[in-house]
Amino acid sequence: MSPTSHPANPERPQYLRVFLTFARNSLVRDMTFRVNFLIESVAALSWMIANLGFYLLIFTFTDSIGERTGWGQYEFFVFLATTMLVNSVVQAFFMPNAQEFSELIRTGGLDFALLKPIDTQFLISLQRVNWSSLINFVAGAILLAFSVYQLVTRADNPLHLTPAAIILYPLFVACGIAILYSLMVSLAATSIWLGRNQSLYDFWFYITNFSRYPMEIYNGTFGLPLRWFFTFIVPVLIVVNVPARVLAQPLRPDTSLGIAMGLFGIGATMFCLAASRFVFRRSLLSYRSASS
Amino acid sequence: MSIIEIENLTKTYRVYQKQEGLVASLRGLFRRQHREVEAVRGINLAVEEGEFVAFLGPNGAGKTTTLKLLSGVINPVSGTARVMGHIPWKRENAYRRRFALVMGQKNQLWWDLPAQESFRLHQQIYRIDPAQFERTRDELTDLLKVRDLLRQPVRELSLGERMKMELTAALLHSPDVLFLDEPTIGLDVVAQHNIQKFLKHYQAERNITILLTSHYMKDVAALCKRVVIITQGRIEYDGSLSGIIDSFSGHKIITLQFAQDDAIDNMDRFGDVLEREPPRAKIRVPRAAVAKTLAAILAEHMIEDVAVEDPPLEEVIADLYASVDDAQAARERPPAEDPVSQ
Repeated sequence: MSPTSHPANPERPQYLRVFLTFARNSLVRDMTFRVNFLIESVAALSWMIANLGFYLLIFTFTDSIGERTGWGQYEFFVFLATTMLVNSVVQAFFMPNAQEFSELIRTGGLDFALLKPIDTQFLISLQRVNWSSLINFVAGAILLAFSVYQLVTRADNPLHLTPAAIILYPLFVACGIAILYSLMVSLAATSIWLGRNQSLYDFWFYITNFSRYPMEIYNGTFGLPLRWFFTFIVPVLIVVNVPARVLAQPLRPDTSLGIAMGLFGIGATMFCLAASRFVFRRSLLSYRSASS
Repeated sequence: MSIIEIENLTKTYRVYQKQEGLVASLRGLFRRQHREVEAVRGINLAVEEGEFVAFLGPNGAGKTTTLKLLSGVINPVSGTARVMGHIPWKRENAYRRRFALVMGQKNQLWWDLPAQESFRLHQQIYRIDPAQFERTRDELTDLLKVRDLLRQPVRELSLGERMKMELTAALLHSPDVLFLDEPTIGLDVVAQHNIQKFLKHYQAERNITILLTSHYMKDVAALCKRVVIITQGRIEYDGSLSGIIDSFSGHKIITLQFAQDDAIDNMDRFGDVLEREPPRAKIRVPRAAVAKTLAAILAEHMIEDVAVEDPPLEEVIADLYASVDDAQAARERPPAEDPVSQ
């Protein structure tokens, strides 16, 4: 059933199979609290719909975000759909674990994770799945399909979907998810040193807030330093911008700026993953294990 | 070669000393007082394969810290330890597949799910062969009499039932070394007894090596031939349970039943009188003086019955803890808490 079942090396953990069991157990648990699950799904969806309504309202006043940026209504909705896809994956797979992690450290429950013959970071960061968040993934996919259809079929300057764009889009979405994952693991790992880190959720919201808009809006005296900071120091700006641009603004990938951005995106992803691994391992060295 | 070898193992914690009061708390935001707490101070120990060893000691003596070091959950400050040839805090998978840790105060099963779902997860993490997994699971849950509770969410189990499930989870991968940290804490007498019986049976059958910490002398007496007493991070005793009394108690308790009630009035001459219930008395006398004292009493009084016993083990151990505390207090010069400001 599982593609990872090689009897050749029984020492090697079956990561995919274990992850599927995590996902299954989480679903069983969610189903035990059916009403809670339903409320969570509805709440997540309504927030996205309200958000979408807000931008629809904005586009009754203007045709595009900024002049000559190329972010017209449907281009921007591609951007918005990409945000939804990325965020729903992060919220479904990583957010519950990051929160749980800081609790495991405070209560000493991390002990059990350290005992298991499997990668600790894998175990800690993937053991819970919040299925209700995935409803926004579905909503995002629908919005994406609808917006791309509008762009491709419009009379004036229709969009040509190149094979490159179709291949690169999911790749850069995956990069974006990996960057957010790394950031989240690093943030959560700091609770080992701090003992308690309840600002995690807030901090997370403040940072990712900047990733939700096209980078062109960060302009001028205040904007440029922000753009620079959130591209090169904490690279959350490229999380949504790079894939959305690849799909909705196909002129860009051919220019040198587009290629540079794509390469930078991949490099930044590698760097973030490596950095988060480093931070996570360092933090485990300082784990004290609450008394029992 | 011993299955567990510990040399000079030391672990200290830096603990933040919180001052009392609001002003002091505010000051603590900027200048923190820290204190080094020595949880384990240079322990040496060797355990052979198939031994069932108990760690005894008061709260905070370093028993749990030692088990956590041996499980690789925390890193030591200095010293070495090898379990089955592995250094625990390297956390190699090859090591982690071969031991288990059960803590009476912490649980690892998914709270909202039936225990069998957590067991299934263990099967996959440890890569246990499915047929063997089912066999082991059924055998363990039969022995512990919790097989019909496998489908019940863990949060709806009693404390004793949950502990049995925790034990099952820990033993599914058939570990060669088992660390048990107060596995019977908070359980009623029947549940305690069941778990003791299970552990005894399981250990004898598989000849695995077990280290156990417990505050219940009954656990220890029922299970372990070898007892290690740890207080203040040091090993104070290593030997048999009965040996504790020989080593640390220089006294015997003599219970006397007299023919007349008034005979007990002048017992103070012979030893410490522990109980006076005319016509019965209990006195404590130095071990070496038992024969002489008995002879003297018999010469003066009519005695209907007499018993000579060791003092209760709990008392001897409590005295031992207290004497180590006193010695420690005497040894340490006044600045017991070297405040190190950051």
